[in-house]
Amino acid sequence: MNYIDSVVYLISSLIAISAFYIQGQEFIVSMIRGQSVQSVLIAVLAFIIAWEERSIDFFILGALIIVLRAFLVNYFLQKRIPKQKSYIYEGRVSLSYLFLVDLIFIVISVFILYSIAFSGIFLHSFLENSGNSSVLVFPITLFFQGLFLIASRRTTFTQIIGYVEEENSLVLFAMFLLPIPIIIEASVFLDVLALVVISSIVVLEKFTHEPVEELRG
Amino acid sequence: MITGNLLAILILLIPGFPGIFYRSRIKEMSVAAAAIDLALSVIMYYVRPQTGFFFVQNITVLFIMMVLSVYLLSTIYSTRYLKGIENMGIREPTYYLLLNLFTISMIFSLEVNNYGFMWVGIEATTISSALLLIIEKTETSLEATWRYIIIVSAGVTFAFISIILIYYSLGTLSVSVATAMHPHSKIMVLAVSLALIGFGTKVGVFPVHTWLPDAHSEAPSPVSAMFSGVLLPTALYVLYEVYEIEPIRQLYVWFAVISIVAASIFIGYQTRYKRMFAYSTMENMNLALLGLAAGGPLGITGALLLLISHSFGKAGAFYSSGNVLRFTGKKNIADLSGLGTSMPYTSASMLMSSLAVTGAPPFGTFFGEFLILSDVLSLHMYAQFIIVIIFLATAFISVNYNVTGMLFNGKGPKNEKDKLMSAVSVISALIPLFIGIFYMVMYNEVL
Amino acid sequence: MATTTLVETLTQYFFVIISAPLYSGILGKLKAMVESRHGPSIFQPYYDLWKLFRKVTIIPADSGVFFKYIPYVLFGIYSLIALIIPVLIPVPIYFTASGDFLSGAILFSLAAFLKIAAAINSGSNYVTLGASRTMSFNFLSEGTLITVFIAVSLLTATNNPYTTIAFLTSYSLENLSLTHMFSTLAFFMLFLYETGKIPLESSGLQELGMIDEGLNYEYSGKLLAVAKWSAYIKQYLLGSVLLNVFLIPWGLFSTSPLFLLDIPVMLAKWMILIFIVLIVETTLAKLRLFRVMDYLAIAFTFSILFLIFVEVIQ
Repeated sequence: MNYIDSVVYLISSLIAISAFYIQGQEFIVSMIRGQSVQSVLIAVLAFIIAWEERSIDFFILGALIIVLRAFLVNYFLQKRIPKQKSYIYEGRVSLSYLFLVDLIFIVISVFILYSIAFSGIFLHSFLENSGNSSVLVFPITLFFQGLFLIASRRTTFTQIIGYVEEENSLVLFAMFLLPIPIIIEASVFLDVLALVVISSIVVLEKFTHEPVEELRG
Repeated sequence: MITGNLLAILILLIPGFPGIFYRSRIKEMSVAAAAIDLALSVIMYYVRPQTGFFFVQNITVLFIMMVLSVYLLSTIYSTRYLKGIENMGIREPTYYLLLNLFTISMIFSLEVNNYGFMWVGIEATTISSALLLIIEKTETSLEATWRYIIIVSAGVTFAFISIILIYYSLGTLSVSVATAMHPHSKIMVLAVSLALIGFGTKVGVFPVHTWLPDAHSEAPSPVSAMFSGVLLPTALYVLYEVYEIEPIRQLYVWFAVISIVAASIFIGYQTRYKRMFAYSTMENMNLALLGLAAGGPLGITGALLLLISHSFGKAGAFYSSGNVLRFTGKKNIADLSGLGTSMPYTSASMLMSSLAVTGAPPFGTFFGEFLILSDVLSLHMYAQFIIVIIFLATAFISVNYNVTGMLFNGKGPKNEKDKLMSAVSVISALIPLFIGIFYMVMYNEVL
Repeated sequence: MATTTLVETLTQYFFVIISAPLYSGILGKLKAMVESRHGPSIFQPYYDLWKLFRKVTIIPADSGVFFKYIPYVLFGIYSLIALIIPVLIPVPIYFTASGDFLSGAILFSLAAFLKIAAAINSGSNYVTLGASRTMSFNFLSEGTLITVFIAVSLLTATNNPYTTIAFLTSYSLENLSLTHMFSTLAFFMLFLYETGKIPLESSGLQELGMIDEGLNYEYSGKLLAVAKWSAYIKQYLLGSVLLNVFLIPWGLFSTSPLFLLDIPVMLAKWMILIFIVLIVETTLAKLRLFRVMDYLAIAFTFSILFLIFVEVIQ
């Protein structure tokens, strides 16, 4: 494996680790920061692809990711945390079981999706064995991590972060796969932003989501 | 001479026009805009836009007319419905503004010729309609709003992966070009399967339908009517356009059948009438999906007939429910009885609507179901046919048992407080009847 | 050749057995120096073992037959492991072929199981408390141990650690490969757990936070000496695998008579490991008991995650 390959794989695995970090957190501020770190890592990957492919599009994409996801979403969410508590603690997070279930989830989903379908995809040419589309494992893993984060937690903030993680995985997926037109990416970003705006209204009112009797069945 | 493109743009933007009157008379302007738009959409049947940015087939025009009709009925209904709410989460002009934006995003998804923009349109419908649910601000409605937002967004994100895969393998995102190509590759199969789960979240496919009963039961009735009547069919249209690229018939048919089974089972133990009607929507949508997936001309005609009749019928059901809720204040089926005497018009429309949505003849939904099932039979899918018939019968019995229980047991004092709301619900419930009779007449005369 | 191998075998075996308590002594002395105490001498564990051998062995009345004999069995198991894995000599010697690397991991598990069985067999309540704690954490640590031992094979497609050492010394850049780095990290976290260091376990007889030490509670005299010695050997074995296969694979000689130089090389490497462990022990606080499971879950996640990723990438 040449250097670029190793670096790409290393950063992608760090992205997956950051998803685990967010999964195991109890404090919401740490989760928001973890998500910023994840977005920055994705932007770094975008810059690497931009450098290798000599394409200005990816460079703009990377810059957009940093500005919108790492800074704006971060700022917006942190402002929404009520002022009298500078941290918020979400109790009863049993990390080990969440991790284990998460791992099982990842294994099943990755192997099923990957081995069935993706064997015929060609990626960017600077990756050494670009005929082997194995680096797509990372976006798929991140996607299911985001879904699991939404499913396993009860506070609104955490679910928003899970959704942002899903959108991150989409960006990563698109980045590896094709020279995507910027308009589509821009719409994805704006969509996340709108969602965060709406959620911030809901968050003010409703913080935790327990099962509700009227909405059962 | 109005060209097709200009017409399409006008139809898209006219619902946004009342937004200018946000401060003053947005209600009346919304009703007027809805009426004008409906008239324009009839014209669009004859003057089509070119296939470029817009892609409007016959089906699309029918859908647009359906969207705008239910929009008109809902706006008229809302003018009276919103009067009785004490604890408003959003103000009334905001409600109308959001309703208009909702309609614009739906028409955008229908008209545009690009899968990516269709996806954006679907997400925009979620965003614009989410706040409509908290107009009656209670704990439950906030919870339902949040569930709606997060489940639908998380699910529709799945669909974006399939759009990326479509772009990757076909090189284009244009609907007209993609459906004309007939690629056969594993990637396309994967993309279309993912789209089933992704857009299927909006349509109500099991197991990603879970937002549906919550959102429908907690939303105000005109908004529920729009969800059932037009939002889900729009999502179904988008799903169908993706399906056309690579028809994986078996997968879609089985998912539709399983969802119908699930919906019928869920109807059986419902205790609140709005949730019951929500599950009935899920059942009808999946029946239409079955028809579209089965694919022959019978199937598609049947699906369209079903969708149009069902939109009006379900809208009537939700308007009647809104009347009942507004006049009596009760949500449980068991709490209500003798509505036939206390609210004659509402109970008439409720009875007709429930018969319509469960597929009783001579309503249009019956003919739609008949055509769909005969298409399924002609494809030799006997197991699916039998299963669907059994569970359709189950749902028919459950829904009508509950409704007649509400209407016919006992007597009560006259309680019909608002004439306009009742009138709208009766009109809306009568339309499937007319569609059914019209179809029967046409069938015997023309064919 | 045969005599060389025989000499190598004997050297490795006796070096392991004799020098094992030394490292705990060095660690104790260094920790005391960091905390501005004089501390015990570095040969203190030897003095303790000598003292214990001369004391009377007391056995609880309720104990069964396991209790009396298992410490010797443990000693035997660890001796066998000392010959299977590369703890001194980087080439196979006598008895190495009696089991491959994975069987080394299974033997570790066997030893842990026997120790717990013996402890429960003693019939005392405190010991059963320690045993239940150990069991509830071991399900994660055993998994990590096995997957980390399998991770050795990811680079060279064979489970033979000697091949891995040769591979890593000749292709030095592979040391920075993804799988290697993260399995090293997982193994280090595991090493801290298995040898009972802070932040996981604090030793000292009044500590109710004991996990592994609690199993030794009822032993006395000769049995306690043998049990403690086995624990020291286990620490040496795990640490040597960490050093020789994962962290610093260089510096070991295999030809005669240069293999005698391996002894000071191993001592030097162990000093590095002791230094790292010292920093960890003196800067972190002990984790609360239910947090230990989270710690082990993180180690397990690292090892499995990279197993999956490497399988997919290569």
